[in-house]
Amino acid sequence: MSLPRHRLTLRVNGEEQELLVESRRLLLDALRDDLGLTGTKRGCEEGVCGACTVLVDGRHVRSCLLLALQVRDRAVTTIEGLAGDGALHPIQAAFIRAGALQCGYCTPGFIMTTKALLDARAALTEAEVREALSGNICRCTGYAHIVEAILALTEDTKR
Amino acid sequence: MSAAAGRGKLTVVGQSLPMLGAHDKVSGRALYVSDLKLPHMLHAKILRSPYPHARIVHIDAERARRLRGVKVVLTGADTPRPIGAIGAHKDEHILAVDKVRHVGEEVVAVAAVDENTALDALELIRVDYEELPAVFDPEEALGPGAPAVHASGNLVREIRIDRGDVDAGFASAAVVHEATYQTQPQYHAPMEPTGAVATIDASGRLTVWAAVQSIHRNQLRLADALGLPTSRVRVIQPHMGGSFGGKLGEDSTHYIAARLALACGRPVRLLNTRLEDFLGVRARMAARIRLKMGVDPAGRITAKETWIHGDNGAYCGLSPEVILVIAARLDSLYRHRNVRTLARLVYTNNPPSGAFRGFGNPQMAFALESHLDVLAEQLGMDPLELRRRNSVQPGDTTIHGWSIGSCELSKCYEETAKRIGGPLRRRPRAPADGAPVAEGRRRGIGIAVAMHVSGARQAADWDGSNVVVKLTPDGRAVIICGEGDIGQGGPTALTQIAAETLGIPPDHVTVTPADTETTPFCFGPMASRLTLVAGNAVIKAAEGARRQLLSIAGQLLEASPEDLTIAGGAIHVVGAPDRRVTIAQACTAHIFRRDGEDIFARGTYDAPSVVADRKTYLGNVSAAYSFAVQAVEVEVDVETGVVRIIRIVAADDVGTPVNPRAVEGQIHGAIAQGVGYALFEGFALENGRLLNGNLADYPVATAASMPTPETVLVDGWEPNGPFGAKGGSEAPISPTAAAIANAIYDAVGVRITSLPITPDKILRALRERGGRRDA
Repeated sequence: MSLPRHRLTLRVNGEEQELLVESRRLLLDALRDDLGLTGTKRGCEEGVCGACTVLVDGRHVRSCLLLALQVRDRAVTTIEGLAGDGALHPIQAAFIRAGALQCGYCTPGFIMTTKALLDARAALTEAEVREALSGNICRCTGYAHIVEAILALTEDTKR
Repeated sequence: MSAAAGRGKLTVVGQSLPMLGAHDKVSGRALYVSDLKLPHMLHAKILRSPYPHARIVHIDAERARRLRGVKVVLTGADTPRPIGAIGAHKDEHILAVDKVRHVGEEVVAVAAVDENTALDALELIRVDYEELPAVFDPEEALGPGAPAVHASGNLVREIRIDRGDVDAGFASAAVVHEATYQTQPQYHAPMEPTGAVATIDASGRLTVWAAVQSIHRNQLRLADALGLPTSRVRVIQPHMGGSFGGKLGEDSTHYIAARLALACGRPVRLLNTRLEDFLGVRARMAARIRLKMGVDPAGRITAKETWIHGDNGAYCGLSPEVILVIAARLDSLYRHRNVRTLARLVYTNNPPSGAFRGFGNPQMAFALESHLDVLAEQLGMDPLELRRRNSVQPGDTTIHGWSIGSCELSKCYEETAKRIGGPLRRRPRAPADGAPVAEGRRRGIGIAVAMHVSGARQAADWDGSNVVVKLTPDGRAVIICGEGDIGQGGPTALTQIAAETLGIPPDHVTVTPADTETTPFCFGPMASRLTLVAGNAVIKAAEGARRQLLSIAGQLLEASPEDLTIAGGAIHVVGAPDRRVTIAQACTAHIFRRDGEDIFARGTYDAPSVVADRKTYLGNVSAAYSFAVQAVEVEVDVETGVVRIIRIVAADDVGTPVNPRAVEGQIHGAIAQGVGYALFEGFALENGRLLNGNLADYPVATAASMPTPETVLVDGWEPNGPFGAKGGSEAPISPTAAAIANAIYDAVGVRITSLPITPDKILRALRERGGRRDA
């Protein structure tokens, strides 16, 4: 059964987008299906696993818990928009270096959470990193290399 | 050179290189099955059984078929061929036929123009069921008058092993202990739920992109299930979002997508929701293990007797193989002389069980390694010392006929004890790090041990791998290989092995995607076989390619190939570095000449193992065995029963670690799954209904659940392994639960014998033993 569609404008990875979406359309599905940005993943469908994490106006949110219409005229950043033109963002490079990924399905979500975390605070202890990551689930790595990658990016570990 | 390449100086093997595909994964470009879309593609949904056991009286799907946008509706009448992961146990169908045997069983499949339409169609389907009596406990299911889950009876498999003189062994023991242990169904929880995209071409030839571990095996099973010649079915593995055994293709997902595509002639995508993934995958089998063991005054095990009831659930999958592993594999960890085992795998109306990392070992390791700690205490012996006195040694033939090649258990014990700060014998305990402990909390340390195969020769008398190494005109290497990658990074190890053999940089080597159409037959990553089995095949292929390369270079340089060496991207005459051609020049010249061709070499390897005898279960099933020792320090809150993990030390014998950081990542991940198995994971089932089929109510370890394990890869060399390597991904999941149980006992003096060890179990045990007790 199809429902009426609404006009939605938003900015995704720096580009203006205009979509027609049903009111029930999740931001996750709008990104993945309407815009083809499949780097954002569906994991649990209920805001527990963090695989669908994106930034809205710089804050990390779970795109499976937001309706697309809730981000009207806001700026959304997905994993595809983190670094420009095939370059690697320092967080992405740190994840590769530390071996902080295996299957990679949770990785975009972890990287977006990390981006928001490091934007908010440059210096973090291991306990703070672990606490900040507790909304993202990784079933492969046991988190150790992810934590290591993030600590390598923070300033206080180098002192 | 033999299959196991020599011990010379290694330049690429042993390096912690980034994983293949890492760049695509961190930038969101890696494509998983849920990212794939084809033109004109339909979306599928499944109607599942709400009952644990019921007769299907009638299915009325007419209204669903008439719904606008619905293209096809299939029921069991359309899927009459029996299927099963093991040929001898084909006990299910793609869609239920006549009966449903567990809640969540697939009954009707719909393909429609979009997911919402398919979901709407499910609402319009009426299935009349006649509920049948159901059974949920394997021992009850064997009792008189128990409901028959299948017409063949509820006993799926019975294993009896009797070696030595068990009764005499018990008679000679100084201490005998008997206890019963219970393990729970554990869900793999890959971050990517299972899914498949299927399409047919104009001639009806089927292509399936499936999140499955073993493309070639699943191709065979799909062809059989659909009544098609194998050549009419092509299976391609996209990026896989985790598997851990859950995507070995025991579930029906890819079968249903394929059957729908055949029925409607259009591409069909079927993606499981998280709940459907819980219901569809084959969780780790719940096992009830009664264990009786005796030890002599010197701590030598005199006898072991085991009674096992495995809860198969409603359908088999790979559980008939899992039960044998539970029954026998860990007997080869110690020098047993007298062993008697009776294992029964039993149908129930619980969700079906199957393969999960460790493949039966975690269940038995929990029982065995808990039990050994009790025996050590009763004997007054350090638990590590008890294990040391009984452990197998290199060169041993174990009680089940396994030939132990490399075995560095002694080093693992030594490293573990050193780092955890033993002694491990129970005594009033301060924190190992000297930190103050809050009022009402107790610290404890526990250890446990496990082993695993590196490839296992099971159903068929072949445990091999076939690969091709092709050199491209620009001098790069491609490994044409269908083993695939389930996220663990096995193919990265293969590129390192190829680069080491060829003498070229590892980033000049790639691996093809796993595609049955273009790759030779192989089994895929399972049973920790990839590094050893496929690695040896890669060495052979790379040696062949190297010979072709040196041969053409010899012609170009007018030198004998024996006088040539490969270094720095070129081939030159030994002692005359100026007489050289680049690898690219040689590869190009190999093609562009009369009768030219690519440098293209095949490598095939079959492990020097045997299928265990079907009656006696004797025989060396694997080319090599890996070992894992873990020690865990816990802090138990005696007021709340909450267990906090303070430290984990893990010492592993994986032979040569081909990629140490990747191996370490495997150990970390295995331990995280082991921590969940020990403390909080498990199906909550009520009369076969899953009450916690979501990741909020089924908790898995988070970053805050555990510390970074201290891992030690002990120095080792496996003679059958490529450059001395053997498997490493599964052994370390098995000891964790027992190590934690032993640590909890050490901390608060209560022995919990059922998993998961939740706070309520600890509190109840503390109450039963008469209030709090200081350690």
